Amino acid sequence: MIGSAPVDARQTYGRGLESLVVGDTAISTIDGNRGRLAYRGYDVEELAARVTFEEVTYLVLFGDLPDASQLEEWRREQIRWRQPPQAAFDALRRVPTRSHPMTQYRTMLTVAACHIPEPENNEMDAQWRRPARILSWTAALAAAAIRHLQGLEPVPPDHGLGFAANFLFQVLGSRPSPEEERAFDASLIVQAEHGLHAAAFAALVVISTGADLGSAVLAGMGALSGERHGGANQLAFQMLAGLDGPDHARIWAREAVARGHRFPGFGHRVYKCPDPRVRVLEPHARALLASHYREDLWHSYLALRDEVESALGPKGVHANVDSITGLVYHPIGLPPSAFPIPFSLAIQTGWMAHCLEYLPDGKMMSPGAVYVG
Amino acid sequence: MICHGCRNAPRFRCILLQVPDRVFPTLSPGFDWRADSLDWPVTTDVGPGLAGVIATGTRVMWLDPSSGRLAYRGVPVASLAAAPDFERVAFLLITGMASEEDSQSWERFRHNLRSSRRLPPDVVALVRDLDPTTHPTRSLRAGISALGCHELSVDDDISGDRHWRELRIVGQVAALVGEIVRHRRGAAAAGGCESEGSLAEELLCAISGCTPERDDIRTLDLLWVLYAAHGLDAPTFTSMVVASCLADPYTNVVAGLSALRGWRQGGAGEAVLDQLLDRSDPGEAEKWVREKLASGSSIAGFGHPDYRMPDPRVVILRQTAASLASRKGRGELFEIARTIEQAATRELAPRGVHINVNFYGALLFHLLGADPPLAPCLIAIARMAGLVALVREGLDGIRLYRPLSRYVGAAPRSIDRGGQP
Repeated sequence: MIGSAPVDARQTYGRGLESLVVGDTAISTIDGNRGRLAYRGYDVEELAARVTFEEVTYLVLFGDLPDASQLEEWRREQIRWRQPPQAAFDALRRVPTRSHPMTQYRTMLTVAACHIPEPENNEMDAQWRRPARILSWTAALAAAAIRHLQGLEPVPPDHGLGFAANFLFQVLGSRPSPEEERAFDASLIVQAEHGLHAAAFAALVVISTGADLGSAVLAGMGALSGERHGGANQLAFQMLAGLDGPDHARIWAREAVARGHRFPGFGHRVYKCPDPRVRVLEPHARALLASHYREDLWHSYLALRDEVESALGPKGVHANVDSITGLVYHPIGLPPSAFPIPFSLAIQTGWMAHCLEYLPDGKMMSPGAVYVG
Repeated sequence: MICHGCRNAPRFRCILLQVPDRVFPTLSPGFDWRADSLDWPVTTDVGPGLAGVIATGTRVMWLDPSSGRLAYRGVPVASLAAAPDFERVAFLLITGMASEEDSQSWERFRHNLRSSRRLPPDVVALVRDLDPTTHPTRSLRAGISALGCHELSVDDDISGDRHWRELRIVGQVAALVGEIVRHRRGAAAAGGCESEGSLAEELLCAISGCTPERDDIRTLDLLWVLYAAHGLDAPTFTSMVVASCLADPYTNVVAGLSALRGWRQGGAGEAVLDQLLDRSDPGEAEKWVREKLASGSSIAGFGHPDYRMPDPRVVILRQTAASLASRKGRGELFEIARTIEQAATRELAPRGVHINVNFYGALLFHLLGADPPLAPCLIAIARMAGLVALVREGLDGIRLYRPLSRYVGAAPRSIDRGGQP
């Protein structure tokens, strides 16, 4: 749909294709002035409160929430793919333990892509069979990468658990509490799709060449690993963890604002108002931090947010989702360097949806460059 | 339309872009255009697939939209092809300097380029763990990803100190392709020995297992020079988008390699060889072309998303292919290719579909000893030079690539009301 849609013939756009309309989409709508994000018409607040991540992946990919039997089939399909090829795990022996988990995870995926148990075929029906495998393989491999960082062996999946709980089980080696599961699931739901952000755009460029869906996801993951993008939640948490309580946070933030510091996790190209995803996750973060006796982090966060938003809010700078996800992942027990991974697991849903929407008649992306030499 | 001072490339006719009011007239899609400066925002006509969109300004290369001529850093490719040396062209593309201009930098660059071929043994082992029949582009992607693990530690800043890494990638990709080639033909790994030969020499050695002839080295250098950069092709543009998020260079290249072999890209030459090697003689080939086109299919090696004219690089490649084929005793194969080209051109040229660089490019790779699935990897080595040059250039004044889409989906609705708004 997106590729064939009539685009205004003449458009004005800035560096980084800012404000260029690439085409039409039916997947999500973002209102950056009122702070609203909806997938296929449903507000993320409602989705996060009412349904699971599996239902949201179905909604984003296929267009509607599943009924009971569709959901059952979708879950079965995902569970079927929870064991990636052994070769992908073996690849971990070939990379240094101290390499970044995002790079280890990426390497496992590239090796897994060499062992896909079906002939190469990029027809539409083959592409549509891929999302379940990609969602499940990536979760299992990501969990193994995070454990590898801590010198731990992979944990086999627990088929009785849903996507979020099983991922945490495979990372932590024990079942998460219902509170942790719910918070983690909510973080996946609110990050499942976000329009044509840079990573989704990278995926779209790759799929437009006629490549397979997994290749498109790899390109998206690459974009996400950059510090401007998915890496921001790690940096935002490290900034917060380096502060010594709310009073210090206030003083430091005031000085940092004065010298024009760019705060990771604050400000967004699209949102010029409070980020709706932050609203969803704040109660979860607060409860989790309280039950893990880390209220100090919560209060530092509040102090930092208030200070930055009161100074820069009028300029449209507010806390974005990257400033809050770390406060959900830290009490659950994920190491900060692994924070970009859940974001990647969630948002690849949106990339795949955009790719599958683009494919039927989308043309190969070929913009140009102006020679200024 | 007049030409504002063409400082660096006086040989080229310039097309005018009305810079002062920042409105760019309708431009032929996909090509590189020319301007004195580029001031954002800009206004252009936009077609499907971002045709006509200006993604960036560049000093790396220029394609003349009227003749299809290509210049790297203002030097016409035809003159670089006269005495082809891929390493010098990589230096030119990446640093913007001619190798004669600063011989000290050039010597250092060449030393780094060649010594970067010493791969960590674990990376070679990872590639050799894969089944030798794995498609080489997938093995290459896995190998580059593993290399990135060796270059980026969890203790590093995520974006890292990127500049020196990018220079190494060209040599590392060449070395990895060499290892993949050896693994495919069941030969032992090179073992990371310090090598003195050029990239082309070493790669031919990996393919054949013996010291290559001078003419073969020259041919591979020529191919790589012609393939080194070509505007914002899909791998390059993907890498630029990924780089704009400040991802590390290996991540950019993994993403770029993911876009290398899509069928709309023509499979980067692989499909050309598949169709060529299936033909038994020129007569059969001609009949095959007629039948293929009559059934509405396309011929690999013909057509380009942007070109509406024959690619000028084809002339050089056709000549080279003719002489190399006769020297290798494969004149028959060249005759088949020539017949397919002529038959397809007769049918397709009136429709504006012309031969592209992959047609004879892939044939040449094959004559040098590469089987069809290797063609995309051999092209990738060359393309790394242009890709790295464009990505590095784009890092100055970089801005995240984040276009918009227009929402045409479901109206606001709620779970409570059965999905009704």
